[in-house]
Amino acid sequence: MAKDKETTSSNPVGPKGPHGGGAGPKPEKAKHFWKTIRRLASYMSAYIWGIIIVLILAILSSIFQVMTPKVLGEATTEIYKGFMNGVAQQKAGIQVDQFPIDFSKIKQIIFIVFLMYMASALFSFIQQFVMTRVSQRTVYKLRRDLKSKMRRLPISYYDQHSNGDIMSRAINDMDNIAGTLQQSITQVVTSTVTFVGVLWMMFTISWQLTLIALATIPLSLIVVGLVAPSSQKFFARQQKSLGLLNNQVEENYAGHVVVKSFNHEKDAIAQFDAENETLYKASWKAQMISGIIMPLMTLINNLGYVLIAMFGGIQVANGGIALGNIQAFLQYMNQFSQPITQLANLANTIQATVASAERIFEVIDEPEMNDDPVDVSDIQTDDKVILDHMDFGYDGKPLLMQDYNLNVKPGEMIAIVGPTGAGKTTVINLLERFYDVKGGSIKLDGRDIRNMSRDDVRSHYAMVLQDTWLFTGTIYDNLKYSNQDASHDEIIAAAKAAHVDSFVRQLPDGYDTVLNEEASNISQGQRQLITIARAFVADPEILILDEATSSVDTRTEVHIQHAMQRLLKNRTSFVVAHRLSTIRDADKIIVMNEGSIVETGNHDELMAKNGFYADLYNSQFAGNVVM
Amino acid sequence: MFKIVRGRLNIWQVIGSILFMIVQVIASLYLPNITSDIVNNGIAKGQTSYIISAGMKMIFVSVLTVLASVGNVFLASQASQGLGQKLRSDLFRKVLYFSHDEFDAFDTSSLTTRTTNDVMQIQNVIVMMLRMMIMAPIMLIGASFMAYQKNGPMTKIFLIVIPALIIVVGGVMYFAVPLFKAMQKKTDRLNLIFREGLTGVRVIRAFRQDTFEQNRFKNANDDYTNNAIKVYTIVAMMVPFVTLIMSGTNIGITWLGAHYIANQTMQVGNLIAFMTYAMQILMSFMILSLIFVLIPRASASAARIQEVFAKESQIDTVAKPAKVKEEASLEFDDVNFRYLGAEKLALTNINFKMEKGQTLAIIGGTGSGKTTLINLIPRFYDSETGVVMINGTDVKALNTEDINRQVSMVPQKAVLFKGTIRSNMLYGKDDATDDEIWHALEIAQADGFVKDLEKQLDAPVEQGGDNFSGGQKQRLAIARALVKDASIYVFDDSFSALDFKTDLNLRTALKADEKINNSVVVIVGQRISTVADADEILVIDDGDMVGLGTHEELKENNKTYQEIIESQIREGNNG
Repeated sequence: MAKDKETTSSNPVGPKGPHGGGAGPKPEKAKHFWKTIRRLASYMSAYIWGIIIVLILAILSSIFQVMTPKVLGEATTEIYKGFMNGVAQQKAGIQVDQFPIDFSKIKQIIFIVFLMYMASALFSFIQQFVMTRVSQRTVYKLRRDLKSKMRRLPISYYDQHSNGDIMSRAINDMDNIAGTLQQSITQVVTSTVTFVGVLWMMFTISWQLTLIALATIPLSLIVVGLVAPSSQKFFARQQKSLGLLNNQVEENYAGHVVVKSFNHEKDAIAQFDAENETLYKASWKAQMISGIIMPLMTLINNLGYVLIAMFGGIQVANGGIALGNIQAFLQYMNQFSQPITQLANLANTIQATVASAERIFEVIDEPEMNDDPVDVSDIQTDDKVILDHMDFGYDGKPLLMQDYNLNVKPGEMIAIVGPTGAGKTTVINLLERFYDVKGGSIKLDGRDIRNMSRDDVRSHYAMVLQDTWLFTGTIYDNLKYSNQDASHDEIIAAAKAAHVDSFVRQLPDGYDTVLNEEASNISQGQRQLITIARAFVADPEILILDEATSSVDTRTEVHIQHAMQRLLKNRTSFVVAHRLSTIRDADKIIVMNEGSIVETGNHDELMAKNGFYADLYNSQFAGNVVM
Repeated sequence: MFKIVRGRLNIWQVIGSILFMIVQVIASLYLPNITSDIVNNGIAKGQTSYIISAGMKMIFVSVLTVLASVGNVFLASQASQGLGQKLRSDLFRKVLYFSHDEFDAFDTSSLTTRTTNDVMQIQNVIVMMLRMMIMAPIMLIGASFMAYQKNGPMTKIFLIVIPALIIVVGGVMYFAVPLFKAMQKKTDRLNLIFREGLTGVRVIRAFRQDTFEQNRFKNANDDYTNNAIKVYTIVAMMVPFVTLIMSGTNIGITWLGAHYIANQTMQVGNLIAFMTYAMQILMSFMILSLIFVLIPRASASAARIQEVFAKESQIDTVAKPAKVKEEASLEFDDVNFRYLGAEKLALTNINFKMEKGQTLAIIGGTGSGKTTLINLIPRFYDSETGVVMINGTDVKALNTEDINRQVSMVPQKAVLFKGTIRSNMLYGKDDATDDEIWHALEIAQADGFVKDLEKQLDAPVEQGGDNFSGGQKQRLAIARALVKDASIYVFDDSFSALDFKTDLNLRTALKADEKINNSVVVIVGQRISTVADADEILVIDDGDMVGLGTHEELKENNKTYQEIIESQIREGNNG
């Protein structure tokens, strides 16, 4: 982020995307629900047969799951029948050691039930097996598409969106989708089938009892409809408070030195305690309310259970219904409320997931860089780079440069100078074609760079920035990064030229040392040297150099300068300069202030002009010290 | 785990919630008993009135269960969240009062995680324990007892079922847990590469390595996806297997039960009750197995928290602190310093004395000890030998609060706090007027951009000051330090983020200020131009004070200083 600040410092709030940089809670509701669902479905279309099989299996396994209590209940009925016969025989005075239970029939029933259970288990495993693959592969493709989109997005997209916002889409939203695809699709089907199936089975046992069971639904709905939202409200409050508290902790720990040296411990603690108390109140209530949903549902269920037991019992006693059926019915009562709660939860999950998918598609739909050639004909010239009547300004902002002209001969060094925040990186943005000009033309070897591919333009340049970006990988691979075809000897030669070789050889793993993200294993100055060596490996015609101002020790500083000198030799170069010597050696100096180019010329010309440059120069070097 | 919980968990709430839970368990164990009575005495004997009275009893017991579980939840959530609140608050206090030595032993993000996530883990485990885990053994014993009472011989079915359950759950965990751990690593790698794609977009494009990046991401994506498929496939086996075992138990009970009933050793109603108890036993087992997943995770968190509590402060508190004198001065008298446990001295023989109105500049390479030196001024660390004196008093005789009142510091890394510009400016002086604030902002060269903000002094500052650029943040941090009334103002490399012109203007304004002229200023710098006009320049190299004098003196006779000049202005540039 910090590296982009310079280009936008006229706006102190910095660039923020349409989502406020990902700060604050995200909108939970999707804007185009069905459209997004269809689009997500198209990602899964390759697995359509897998999904169809899963759905069929889901239906079958829930049907089996629903039927088994009834079938097993038949066994109970058989037992009960034998028991009643036995009791009747006893009453009739017949001596019975063994009640006449029909074991062969029970064996048969049990065998069928066992098969159904087996099938149901197998089917549910197959479902998960397939859905795991479908969901992971789908998200794999989504991730791949998002990543490949990132290469087609213009740099302006990166400058306008915070990394945090993009990362949260690439990670949290992806995870959301993976989780939901894995679980929810099958759950929607099984819950629905189970609910309908259970209802159906109950009806086939007794419609009177079923009506009693149905009477408990409104009660369940009240619980789901009233208690659940209020628990969500407390959870949201808890989440918000937790976020604020985390920020406080992070901020005060990060600023530990400041907090202490300003004697601010007590104030910080008072603020913390207030938020901590809010969090406590919200979180115990959230816990509590979400915790009572289960017991309440159980109570409702038990009420239904008792009613069924009572009415059913009376009916059995009157001979209107078999005991096994009551047993089965009671089991159905237990299964009955589950799908209702589950479906209610699913509705929320699916909403959130579609919103996640929408956020990802939003990135995928962003306008891409366009490669339309322009109507500027090539010219014959000895100049390496020509800025020809160039206009430029960032989108939606006033023009920063108007009708700017500059001719750069091969081997010339152009210095770019100006105070902090003057927009020096804008020039780099234009040369590397990170941004296109608004008017006029930039020509490389006489050809408008918009008529070349971006890769072609960039193949002429190498860049060494202050931001020493290196990827997580070995030092060797990082050196090779600028030219994958470079030979081993070339790479070692570059490392030697940039004073990299000597310190790398002192590392235990040498060139195979893996650089980590925090770069804790090598110093900032050494990182800078590696970026210089990387530019050496590229062996470019034109060099873009951002002179370091960051703090490095004197010896490394000498090395960096020395390496930069070698790199600059015999090359056309653009140098964002902080060093007097560089500026004085430059063939031309571009002086920038507040985003615009204010003066151009060599040192003597500009000093003679006695303008902005002269002022800057005097304040920097001549003002107070005679060196 | 118990160490950190002790004294922070409200014991009455815990006891209460356990009592409620016991009621809940007993009631839910009693329910199947009533059901079987309904079948045995009511249905089988055709007694409708018995069914109704037993049904009433059942409703009563159900309501009791719910009331007990509400009571349990009520107390358990207060106890667990209260524990979390207490833990967080104790941790936060402990860390804030850490001295530098203790703080250095951890890093910021690790301390943040300990205060937030680790406490959350503990809190969650406690609530699980109070609501489920303690219930599992009680339920297990109770249900076993009831089942045994209903039919003793039939309980032998558990000898097969429970080992089977343990094998399935244990087996899945055995294979899945390492894969889950691997998955965390692969997730991190995937995120890392994606993030690098964002942070390095300019470099990647400039070197035309888009394809390389895409491939790097593809490999990580492949790796992650394959692992995820493996993990979830293993996990997918668990539910069907467990369901199968439970269903199998039901079948077994029916088959065995039929025989016992035929032999007249069991009543029909007991069969249904037995099935319910069997399910309760198996569920308890499942819950118990959760303990093996959660407890290790929670005890790791507990250990991390305990580590923070166990850290003792290295700075001795002063029994009878001396009074700080009015007249500003700063003196280092033969100061040596070494970091805790270090072999080598970090600072050797530092000697200087500055009077009010004077400026001391400190220059030297990275790691030469500049920041270490100034950290001794506000007693962030104690010197090993030698004396650090502010306003003529040894800092070891002063308490830290008084020292901090005399010393105003701008650290290397500008830190702002969420709030407004004004709230940040008032950080060092609660009752500063707007005029004072504007004056400080003017000196710090920050008045220009603050005036451009719509709300000026009331403009919001986001967390960490993220809505300001590096240079702006630095200038605001300088202004904040200037608002404070102190005897000594310390700027730790605060000017290098500024361009030369702003740097010069700032130092000129600083010199012209009356308040500053009555105090000692210490400037740590990288650039010769920043330090050149100081009254004294202290040159430090590898912890040694290698020079002290004015720019002119040092330029003549100090080798290190000459080297620094050399490195910044190459030959042939004589100004």
